[in-house]
Amino acid sequence: MATIVNVTQEKALEVKEFEFTYAGADAPSIKKLSMPIAKNSVTALIGPSGCGKTTLLRSFNRIHDLYPGNKYKGEIIFENRNILDHKEDLIHLRTQIGMIFQKPTAFPMSIFDNVAYGLRLQGIKNKTELQDRIQKALQDAAIWNEVKDRLKHDANGLSGGQQQRLCIARAIAVEPEVLLFDEPTSALDPISTAGIEELVVALRERVSIIIVTHNMQQAARVSDYTGFMYLGELVELGRTEELFVTPKEKLTEEYITGKFG
Amino acid sequence: MSKIIDTLFANLTKITAFLVLLIVAWIFTVLIDHSMDAIKAFGFDFVLEDKWAPNLEKFGALPAIYGSVVSTFLAMILSVPIAIGVAIFLSEIAHAKLKTPVGVSIELLAAIPSVVYGMWGLFYFVPIIRDIFGGVGISMLSAGIILSIMILPFMAAVTRDSMNTTPDILKESAYALGGTKWDVIKDIIIPYAKAGIIGSFILALGRAIGETMAVTFVMGNVHRISTDLTEPATSIPVTLANEFNEADSELYFSALFELSLLLLVISFTIISVAKFYFLRRKRIGR
Repeated sequence: MATIVNVTQEKALEVKEFEFTYAGADAPSIKKLSMPIAKNSVTALIGPSGCGKTTLLRSFNRIHDLYPGNKYKGEIIFENRNILDHKEDLIHLRTQIGMIFQKPTAFPMSIFDNVAYGLRLQGIKNKTELQDRIQKALQDAAIWNEVKDRLKHDANGLSGGQQQRLCIARAIAVEPEVLLFDEPTSALDPISTAGIEELVVALRERVSIIIVTHNMQQAARVSDYTGFMYLGELVELGRTEELFVTPKEKLTEEYITGKFG
Repeated sequence: MSKIIDTLFANLTKITAFLVLLIVAWIFTVLIDHSMDAIKAFGFDFVLEDKWAPNLEKFGALPAIYGSVVSTFLAMILSVPIAIGVAIFLSEIAHAKLKTPVGVSIELLAAIPSVVYGMWGLFYFVPIIRDIFGGVGISMLSAGIILSIMILPFMAAVTRDSMNTTPDILKESAYALGGTKWDVIKDIIIPYAKAGIIGSFILALGRAIGETMAVTFVMGNVHRISTDLTEPATSIPVTLANEFNEADSELYFSALFELSLLLLVISFTIISVAKFYFLRRKRIGR
């Protein structure tokens, strides 16, 4: 059984006995996984490739549903409802639970329109409101000063690190409750990575964050809680400073000391 | 020794490449050479004159140009929306089990030789047009519709391929912001694939304007400019296919060559625009 630290503060999400099976697969990729996600904190998910951490992350906004045949079991509780319920409104869910991807994904449009995209999908047309919220989102994503003079320029002209911050601005512009980061710095240089990490730490004031990372140092730097996953199961969830110093599970210890991975 | 073989091989490939250039130049030269009589006789009036009367040695290309432009325009109007619909269905909406069979049949449709379209058009399609729209059936309208059916598979297949180049992660990003399928198609996939889509439309346009066999069967080869689409008409390739046998004078022969030169220049321009403007921009846009 997994060792799970008691999260005393309010929870953003609660995963209960969750199982996930990819279309056409015989065995589930995630098995009977239960874990709490603390509100206004950063929870990092670490583990070797193929352990299911990205699969779990992509279940929180049900992006798996874009591909037919994937199956969920169990519950993920968010705002007192099970988001795995087939009646869940996925469009609405995804405005509440945003996502940042492995690579920057600037849309083929201007910087302004990129950030406006989610807002316009919600039907916000008022020009001053759009401008205000876009400026605020870009400021919160620490990219406003770099782009304020070229908002009408194509977003693909930005550097990789800038594009990733633009994607963060785009995600926070719609004011989600939870933000999912799927290895957000794996395509970035060290300086851009540091910028994104600072941003993650700063953003937890406003949103609950779950970040999947291959990089244990990154998990240690940015997160409050860390979950170690192995072969589709959660081995241990602990406060980050405890998990990396005094892991409770032998498997966790072996992984963080580099015995496998 | 191996160096000699390398040099030999390099030169051999160079020759094959230059051979292609040579052929293009050769064709142009022959066409210009044979057109000279007509060019001297009619000058620029050739493209403005609407009388084509071989027995009077009067040759005006306007009806053929008009027919080429109108039938191609008709074909594009009919096929563009359908091609986009097919492509959207195949790339984004169809279930995986349906994608392959429908996709393959679209490509099969593209493999049908144009003479088959022509025969099918004449014996099966033309009577339907006659019953619905009146006239004799052999008409500008029939030509436009047959052309649209002919270029549709190519356009649909290339548009689908362009749409499929949209990275999944980009689509997922738009869904992750609360986009619906329709939002993602119109805001992400179509803008991303736009250059490739327009390029494919222009290539299809080039194909339609030069198409000969399919339209020869259903157009009628009547040199008359009419705004009534159910009237028989002609186009540049239809005129060429029908009249080379009958060209009994030097000038007649030369006028037909000038027509083909005209067609070549038009096709050349269209394909250049498609290749160098749209299809190149897509490559840079990565």
